[in-house]
Amino acid sequence: MRPHAGAPLSRRRFLSLSAAGAATGAAALSGCAMQVSSGVSGSGETVTVMVNSGDILPEQVQQAKKDLGIKIVLVKYDITKLIAMLTSGNPPDLVRGVGAVDSPFFAARDVAEELDPYFSRSGVLKVDDLDPVNDLWRFDGRTQGKGPRYGMAKDFSQDSMYWYNTSAFDKAGVDHPSETEPVTYEEWQETAKRLVQRKSGQTTVFGGSYGGLTRSTLLTTMTASAGGSLFNDDFSRVDFTAPEARKALAWYIDYCKTKVGPSLIQPDPNGWDGPTYQAGRLAMSNSGYWMGGMIYPDKKLAEVSRLAPAPLFAGGTRISACQGGTGLWMPKKAKNKDAAWRVFEWFFGEEPAKARAGGGWGIPSLKSMRSLMPAQEDAQKRALKVQENELKHFSVVSFTPYTRADALDALFNQIAPAAMNGQISVDTLAGRLNSAINEQLKRGKEQVG
Amino acid sequence: MTATSLQPKSLTTDARVRVRAKRLVLYTILVSVTGLFLGPFGWLILSGLKTQGELAASPVHWLPDVFQWHNFADAFHQIDFLGYARNSLVIALIYATLVTLSSAWVGFGFARLDAPGKKVLFGVLLGSMMLPQMVTLLPTYLIFAKVGMVDTYWPWVLWGLSAAPYLVFLFRQFFAGMPRELEEAAIVDGCGYATIFWRIFLPQSWPVLSASFIIAFTWTWGDYIAPQLLLSTDRTTLAVAVMTAYVNDGGTPVPELQAAASVMYVVPILLIFLIAQRGFVAGMSTSGLK
Repeated sequence: MRPHAGAPLSRRRFLSLSAAGAATGAAALSGCAMQVSSGVSGSGETVTVMVNSGDILPEQVQQAKKDLGIKIVLVKYDITKLIAMLTSGNPPDLVRGVGAVDSPFFAARDVAEELDPYFSRSGVLKVDDLDPVNDLWRFDGRTQGKGPRYGMAKDFSQDSMYWYNTSAFDKAGVDHPSETEPVTYEEWQETAKRLVQRKSGQTTVFGGSYGGLTRSTLLTTMTASAGGSLFNDDFSRVDFTAPEARKALAWYIDYCKTKVGPSLIQPDPNGWDGPTYQAGRLAMSNSGYWMGGMIYPDKKLAEVSRLAPAPLFAGGTRISACQGGTGLWMPKKAKNKDAAWRVFEWFFGEEPAKARAGGGWGIPSLKSMRSLMPAQEDAQKRALKVQENELKHFSVVSFTPYTRADALDALFNQIAPAAMNGQISVDTLAGRLNSAINEQLKRGKEQVG
Repeated sequence: MTATSLQPKSLTTDARVRVRAKRLVLYTILVSVTGLFLGPFGWLILSGLKTQGELAASPVHWLPDVFQWHNFADAFHQIDFLGYARNSLVIALIYATLVTLSSAWVGFGFARLDAPGKKVLFGVLLGSMMLPQMVTLLPTYLIFAKVGMVDTYWPWVLWGLSAAPYLVFLFRQFFAGMPRELEEAAIVDGCGYATIFWRIFLPQSWPVLSASFIIAFTWTWGDYIAPQLLLSTDRTTLAVAVMTAYVNDGGTPVPELQAAASVMYVVPILLIFLIAQRGFVAGMSTSGLK
C-alpha cells in the first residue's frame, strides 16, 4: 500500500530515502565542492600554491593551465594552515614566504627543499641573473645569505628607505632630504619633529613613520647600520645591551616616545602607511620603492612624492637591506616537485614576473627584468634614479633560524610599551628583551636540534 | 464641589504627563541604544561610499564629498562575489539543516529519556561549549586530512550530524517544558520514541527550530576560521573572500571595497532575520533562554 501524504514514514522507506540522499550528497560534496569562476578544472597535473590574494591572479591561473598544462590550486596563506598541512604530510607544492625571516626558519627545520639542483638545470632562471636579494633565500645551516638556495624573491624593496611629501616639507620650511646622500637617523627624527602637526592634543599629520616591515627586522637592520649585530655568532641569542643594538633600540623608543609617527602607543587607524600618506597625513613614510606602485597612479601625489636613501647612524655603515624579499619556497614533502618547479619558473621568470616588474610595486628579482621597471612619468624616473643608486648599498642582514619574526614581535610588543610610555628605561627594556627573547630562541634551538 | 470635581481631572492630567515623560525618557534611551548598536553598521555603509583618502582623513570625514556608489559595483566585480556567496549558502544550508535536526534529536533525548549517566553526559556536553575553537583547530585539520575531506564540504555535514551543544541545550529546555501526557498518550497508542519525536514533538517546536536554524546559519555564514583552514581559494566562502581578496596590486588592502563588500555580505543575514524574527524571538523565549 502506498503511504498517503502525511502518513508516518516506514523504517524501510526512511532508510531508502536516506540512502538515496546520502548517495546524492556524497557525489555533491566529495570532489565537487563548488568552485568560483576563477577555478580551473580539467585533467593534467595539479600544483597547490599557498599564497596571499593578489600574488597570483585568477586570470594567471587560467593562463598557466593553457601555457603549462598545469592546474594551479590556490590556497590562502595562513601559518596555522601551513603547519597543519606540513604536519599532515600533505603540504602545498609551493608556499609564500618572507625571505628575510622565513627562509632560515624553514630551512633549519629541514622542511624546505634545496633548490640548487633545480636552478642548475633551469633554462628560465639562471643563477647569474639572480639579483643579490635572492641570497636572503640562502642558508648554510647557520647563516642566512650563504649556502644552498631554498626559494626566491618575487620582487623586493630596500625597506629602510623612505618616501616624503615635498608639500609637507615646504609648508614647515624644512629642506628636502638629498636623493643621493642619506641623512642620519638622528637627523631624520629631528625632521619628523618639525613636520608633525597636532591639534587639541591629537596628531593630525604624522611627521614620519619608521617601523620597518617588522620590529624584529627593523631592529636587526638598524643594529647592522650602527655597525653591530643583534644576534650572536650562531644566532641563538640576542643582546640589546651591546652598544650598537642599544643605540638602535634607544632611537626607536625615542621615536615612539616623541610621537612623531605611528607606533604601538600611537597606532595609525589605517593599519599601514598607504592611505595615511595618500591623505596627506604623513610627511615621511618608511616604505621602500614598492610604495611607488600606489603613488604613481595618483598624479597629484606623485608630483609631490620623493624617494630617499635609507638613513644611517652617525659614524655607522651605510647599508640598505631588504626586510622582506617575499617569494616562494618548496616544501620537501611536496607531492609534485617537477610540476611545482615549472610553476616556480613561470612565476619568477615568465609572464607573472614581467607583469610585476612593470607594475612598480617592487624591484624585479631577476637583473634581466630591471629594464621593465616603469620609467615613463617624471615621478617614476626620479624614484628609479634614487633606487638605482641605493642598490649599490644592498646587503643581506642575517636573521635567526630559531624563531619566527612575528614571535619576536609579539614579545617586543608586550614588553616595549612600558619604555615607550616612559615607565622603564631603555636599559631596563634591553635587559627584559634579552631575557624573554633568549628564552624563546633557546626553545627554538632545542626544536631544531 | 467645583474643587472636588476638578481634582480628579487634574490628577489624571498629571498622571498622563508623568506617563508621557516616562515614555519620552524610555524612547530616548531606546533610540540612543539603537543608535549605538546601529552606529558601526552605519559607519560601515558610509565607509563603503568613501574614497580611500576620505577614509584616512583627519579630522574624520563624516560624509563623503561624492558618494562612491561604484565601490559596491567594484566590490561585486573584483571577485566572483556570487560564486563565493553560493559557496557560503550551500555550506550554511547544509550545516544549519543537519545541525538543527540532530540537535533537536539529542535535545529530545536529554529532555524526555532517562538513562544512567544522563546528567554527567549533559554536563560533558555543556562543558564542551567552553572549549575554544582554536584548541581543536589543528587536530580537526589533521583528522579531516587523514580521511581526505580537506577541500570538500564533508566536514560541515559531519559537524551538522554531530549536533551543537548550545542548540541541544536550546531544544532540551523546550522539550522539557512539554506536557508528559502527550508522550504518555502516544505510548499508549503504540508509538515508539522516534515516532513521538518526529510526529509529536518536532511539529510543535517550530519556534525553536527556526531559532536554531537562524543561529546555525549565521554561525556558518560568518565563520572565517573553518573555511579558511579547510577550503582552497576557489571553494572557500564569502566570509574568507571579503576578508582577504580585496587587495591592490601590491597586496595591500583596499578598505573602501572591503567595507562595501562587507555591507553586501551581511545583507542576507539581515534579511533572514527580518523574515524569521518572530519565530526566532519566540524560540528563544519558549526555550527558557530569554
